[in-house]
Amino acid sequence: MNKYATVVIAGTFVAGLAACGEIDQQAKVEKVYAGKKDEHAYDGAKFGGDKKKWETAMAERSKTQNEYLRTDRK
Amino acid sequence: MARMKFICDAERCIECNGCVTACKNEHEVPWGVNRRRLVTVNDGIPGERSISVACMHCADAPCMAVCPVDCFYKTEEGVVLHDKDLCIGCGYCFYACPFGAPQFPQAGAFGLRGKMDKCTFCAGGPEENNSSAEFQKYGRNRLAEGKLPACAEMCSTKALLAGDGEVISTIYKQRVQRRGKGEEVWGWAMAYGRGEAKSAGVKS
Repeated sequence: MNKYATVVIAGTFVAGLAACGEIDQQAKVEKVYAGKKDEHAYDGAKFGGDKKKWETAMAERSKTQNEYLRTDRK
Repeated sequence: MARMKFICDAERCIECNGCVTACKNEHEVPWGVNRRRLVTVNDGIPGERSISVACMHCADAPCMAVCPVDCFYKTEEGVVLHDKDLCIGCGYCFYACPFGAPQFPQAGAFGLRGKMDKCTFCAGGPEENNSSAEFQKYGRNRLAEGKLPACAEMCSTKALLAGDGEVISTIYKQRVQRRGKGEEVWGWAMAYGRGEAKSAGVKS
């Protein structure tokens, strides 16, 4: 009887764990862009397709918005 | 690179409309279309707060989800753009957008809507970078020139920050730390009120 109860309790715990799973909430409908292909921002005369150069330039430019750095008051 | 993002610091915005003007001028946006606008809470009352609002380039953009012709796409940097050649001006995106970002120029009499226009994060659209076709349809492509959106660069108090999400969130974090207010300005206390006020029986 004890063995039977142990199996039932263990089974209940295992079944209970199923409630801990996370159901995917993303919409199942796949939206595929139907328009024209766009160029990357780094494709062009200024950066010549060099993604790394563009990213560095953008990060540096973003930092100029921090006036604590511009006024040397870190 | 992280995603391109906007942050508007409500503690700094002085409602000057510089960002709105910069955007209008930079992209030669037609009359009646505002890609960016200012929203003020408690206007005229001491302690009023303003924020600059435009397309927030959502991670899971509702405009993309509802578009019947699938004219929206997202760049590698997380900027949400659309193809105006495909847009039918139905207005679904306007109803889906929680920020009211999609704008529609008047295309004729009796309120006939034109093709949707919205903030492009100054990244142009699906045309050759910095071409006249791109400028006419989507405005200037400043990202291809290595520049940030005009609204943020024009902001006199640097309330509006734009760029790499990691960089601008670091700038914002530094500001909050210097103000020394922490969660009072942004976070749990801002949203739900201070715990000590509640415990003292004071309505927050």
